[in-house]
Amino acid sequence: MRDLLIAPFELGFMQRALVISLIVGALGGIVGTYVILRRIAFFADTLTHTVFPGVAIAFVLDGSLYLGALVAGLVSAVLFALMSRRQALDDDAFMAIMLTTFFGLGVVVVSRITTYTNDLVVLLFGRVLTVSRNDIVATVALGGVALLIVAVAHKELTLRAFDPEGSTAQGYRPVLLDLCLNIAVTLVVVASLKAVGTVLVIALLVTPAATAKLVTGSVRSMLIVSATVGMFAGVVGLLISYHASLDHGVSLAAGPTIVTVLTATFVIVVTGVAVVRRSRQTIELVA
Amino acid sequence: MVALTSVIASIIDSFGAIWDSDILRRALLEAAVVGAIGGVIGIHISLRKLSFTTMALTHATFPGVVLAAILGVNLLAGSAVFGLLLVLALAVLGRVRELDTSTTTGVLLAGGFALGVLLLSAQDGFAKDLTSFLVGSILTTTNSELVATVVGGGVIAVVLAVFSKELLYSAFDPVGAQAQGFSLGGLDLMVLLALEATLVLTIPSVGTLLSVALLVGPATIARLWTDQIRLARYIAPVIGAVFAMAGIVISHAADTAAGATIAVTIGVGFAVSLGITSTPVRKLLGQSHRDPRPVRIFTNR
Repeated sequence: MRDLLIAPFELGFMQRALVISLIVGALGGIVGTYVILRRIAFFADTLTHTVFPGVAIAFVLDGSLYLGALVAGLVSAVLFALMSRRQALDDDAFMAIMLTTFFGLGVVVVSRITTYTNDLVVLLFGRVLTVSRNDIVATVALGGVALLIVAVAHKELTLRAFDPEGSTAQGYRPVLLDLCLNIAVTLVVVASLKAVGTVLVIALLVTPAATAKLVTGSVRSMLIVSATVGMFAGVVGLLISYHASLDHGVSLAAGPTIVTVLTATFVIVVTGVAVVRRSRQTIELVA
Repeated sequence: MVALTSVIASIIDSFGAIWDSDILRRALLEAAVVGAIGGVIGIHISLRKLSFTTMALTHATFPGVVLAAILGVNLLAGSAVFGLLLVLALAVLGRVRELDTSTTTGVLLAGGFALGVLLLSAQDGFAKDLTSFLVGSILTTTNSELVATVVGGGVIAVVLAVFSKELLYSAFDPVGAQAQGFSLGGLDLMVLLALEATLVLTIPSVGTLLSVALLVGPATIARLWTDQIRLARYIAPVIGAVFAMAGIVISHAADTAAGATIAVTIGVGFAVSLGITSTPVRKLLGQSHRDPRPVRIFTNR
């Protein structure tokens, strides 16, 4: 048991990987709760792609990847909050075009460097095992701001999610509230850059909260369960990836393993809920 | 005036140079064909608000491609099977009360993609394969791939044309269509299958990113310019083909990744169209339409 659960984390790089996985798991779970309640999973997915040109330009100029991602993310968050006011435009199509254009721009920038495939993959999928102390500091700082935003605007964001008309009627500006959430999501995406990369962070934002929504009845409990699921998958995913690579000779990348654990958790919970519901129906019918 | 003619001359020159090269000519033709098919099916994607589903389909078919490569079976078959699994999973999860369509789509997209990356990470040549899946390798299009795209795309276009009246009717007036005895689920399924068939054809040569760009972009641009679907149906394939070829020419001149350049070209075209059609010009091109409904079999209310 000790070999299975404790021994891996005696290594320095595994400790750092554990810390950052726990942080981004909780962050994704908490901010993701608002994403699911507002039903903006596609927007979250778009953001994970639109930060990419910022990362790519920072990479080429040898600047801070976090800064590049943050700038590109904030630009798209503002752009989207403004565009969603235009009634004639289909949000879905607009996001898809924004996603492919920004992402394409990132690839164009990176492709100017001759051997780009390896770099591209690191940028897209992160390297949780090479996380440094500075990365953890950056993640904590960015994530802290994101948590602060949703904590301050919690009541207003919840109202807007459940009763958009009521929220507007009470005088809250929808664009401002949307912008708050957009920025919080951007910060989480940027904070998770090193741990899971830009492409897989969508799983952290969507899957834990979707799982939590199935088994909870209030926003508060959904937040707690969602954060717990995110952290749980981080630890279990890291352990599976470690043991598979070291003990069984199958090199499983840590980031995708974490996401696969998340998906498996979702599938188990959704099946469980369906089974419980069916048996309850049967009991009611019999009684 | 002189500057303009010299610019046009240089574009014609570079077009000629591309046409002379076997590889580039094939890439140009493939781009034009995929762009045109994208425009044809894109109208239905746009009317039924299936952009996110398209995105999810491209990601969820990824593990199928990887598995097929590992097992040594046909890649198209692998991605087709996983595409069907996704459609099935969306339909099943649509019945869970707590989950709305965008949530289930997001979960399946992320989960499917991660599974593909996970399978791939256990293989050698991880980085290279993954990049070509994402951004495609349109420059390595073979003659047989080109033929497959033309034939497959032709079949899809014919099927959509034959049922176009029913598909458009049910998109705009689902209640009326149902009252007249059309099966809404059947028509939705037809669009989804056509969508999946298109993606299965295009992803190997142009990648996921460009597939989404070509399926969503041209139709959305066309619908910015006109509210009449009749017109948009013919404009969209033309826009798709022209922008795709323009992207190839630009990427050749600027020495950038071809697929990504096409995606950016479409994005710029969209931004410019959005700017122009926000002005009174739009009013010359037709009146406003009613909002179409989203796809029905996935929704739970």
